[in-house]
Amino acid sequence: MPWYLYLALKQLFPTGRRFPFFTVISILGVALGVALLVISISVMGGFGHEIRRMIVDTQGEVQVKARGFIQDPAALQAVIEKVPGVVATTAYAEGVAMLEHDRKPAFPVMQGIDLDRVNDVIPLRRFVRLGSLDNLDDDSVILSSQLAIAIGARLGSKVEVYSPLLLEKMKHDEVMLPRELTVAGIFEIGHQQLDSSVVIVTLRTMQDLYGLGRGVHGINVKIAGGEDPDRVASRINAVLPPAANAEARSWIDANQDFLFVLQLEKNMIFFLLTFIIIVAAFSVTSSLLIAVVRKTREIGLLGALGGKPRHVAACFCFQGFIIGLGGTVAGLALGFTLLHFRNDMIRVFTQLTGSEEVLTRFYQFSRLPAYTAPGDIALIIVSSIVISTLAGLLPAWRAARLNPVEALRSE
Amino acid sequence: MAKTEPNLVLSASGLAKSYLSGEQRLQVLRDVSLNVAAGESVSIRGESGSGKSTLINLLAGLDATEAGSLRWAGEPAAADRRAAFVGIVFQSFYLIPELDALANVLMAARIRGAIGTAERARALGLLARVGLETRVRHLPAELSGGERQRVALARALMNAPQLVLADEPTGNLDEHTGNAVIELLLGLCRDMGTALVLVTHNAAHAAKCDRPLTLHEGVLQ
Repeated sequence: MPWYLYLALKQLFPTGRRFPFFTVISILGVALGVALLVISISVMGGFGHEIRRMIVDTQGEVQVKARGFIQDPAALQAVIEKVPGVVATTAYAEGVAMLEHDRKPAFPVMQGIDLDRVNDVIPLRRFVRLGSLDNLDDDSVILSSQLAIAIGARLGSKVEVYSPLLLEKMKHDEVMLPRELTVAGIFEIGHQQLDSSVVIVTLRTMQDLYGLGRGVHGINVKIAGGEDPDRVASRINAVLPPAANAEARSWIDANQDFLFVLQLEKNMIFFLLTFIIIVAAFSVTSSLLIAVVRKTREIGLLGALGGKPRHVAACFCFQGFIIGLGGTVAGLALGFTLLHFRNDMIRVFTQLTGSEEVLTRFYQFSRLPAYTAPGDIALIIVSSIVISTLAGLLPAWRAARLNPVEALRSE
Repeated sequence: MAKTEPNLVLSASGLAKSYLSGEQRLQVLRDVSLNVAAGESVSIRGESGSGKSTLINLLAGLDATEAGSLRWAGEPAAADRRAAFVGIVFQSFYLIPELDALANVLMAARIRGAIGTAERARALGLLARVGLETRVRHLPAELSGGERQRVALARALMNAPQLVLADEPTGNLDEHTGNAVIELLLGLCRDMGTALVLVTHNAAHAAKCDRPLTLHEGVLQ
């Protein structure tokens, strides 16, 4: 090992029983910054990942939407399914309806799904917590969990549905009875908004309620793994007949503003929290500068023994690097440990403060999600080590500039 | 340029050095010439401020001379030759506090870029020669002043230099310890055939060298 690396390690971790306070405190400073970055970026990544997953799981990767409605969905599905990269399609119709149970009204979004094909595109079965998707028929409904609680409906309860078409007819003094549906299941996706404002019925029920005939509002498309949703959407648009008056959009394109905001928030958090590492690096600089002053005569000695100024500089730069490396490793370990226990810690915190419901309502998730992208971790590691190494540059420059004779003469 | 004899380890000719003190320039060394042969010991005495340490710095190549020339074994003195050619002993020991006695001695070899089993054995041998075989793992803070200076002696001899420059090595030691250190230094240099330039205030120590010289008002006599 070159002498300057050896000496750097010895100065950071001196021989003997002395506890290396400077090293431990410096490493701790960087570690705290790295841990905070890991936690924040992972939680932000988790939010983004959950939202992306939820969009894909509830809409498919590509959605073909009509400007009015699609008259002959089967014909259009046949065209779309021939497009390279398309695995399956399922038609849907959706709209707001009034739901009433036990004199408690609600106005959820009603999704009409094609029971024969929906599971090829959307993993709906996975989200049904009570009852079963197999029990859904034209006289039943699956409620979202929070909505079921809000209107007091249970499995087997009867709910009355008033569609806009029905309400329109009632305005003309026609006597119309609401559609009575039995609760065949209760689903929970894990997103507060979806879990409190969506109900699922069969496509035929939705077509009846909205007077669509055989028409649908759109077609959800599942694409093959590894395919780019934007490219598949472009291919679909190229084959869509003009008469269909429809357009295919990938989930990325359809939610680009939202995804941009998510990415922006993540970048801002990264930018702001990086300052913690920069502040820690300043304290490393300050400590190393003090070390240069304190060790002036030793630096002079190294020159007298034949040490080159650039090697003296490397000795201090390497100390910054080691602090950065140690701080990064410790920070990653601390960050991932805290991430692992995040939900336990939040549960204890919210129980102590009584804010569990507020948290769920505000953040839309019942559990704090976390997703750590390898690229984000690589960026954190590189930033932390580079910043810490740069922290050693100024002390290194000061040390390298010392004249051995003057350094040895210093008091 | 002065012609150098083949067995000369150190050949300094017409060295000069001045410092700016306020607006006045102080001439510290004037036309200093000194030849030291292999294995020879030379002592330089002088009053405080006579330029002894400045001369040692010039001879070690740590400071640049304003005039004259300096040759080590017939070759121009250069910083990259210093680690292998010159061993320096300072008044204040200058041991690295984070390193134990053995590591301090080995530091001279590390800086030279030669560290291995042979160097480790040599360092242990030198520490044994200076009577510190039981203190090799002790930190400088755990050693007495005399022991620290003996570690510094071993470090100065680690790279088997042809020339040892000692700048008042007993200045921080009591008389008894100082005498022991000088005996050790002279003995080691004699045994290893190393030339020695010893700067000292002590007349008795100076007298033990082959050639005692005096530095007075910047002139070597």
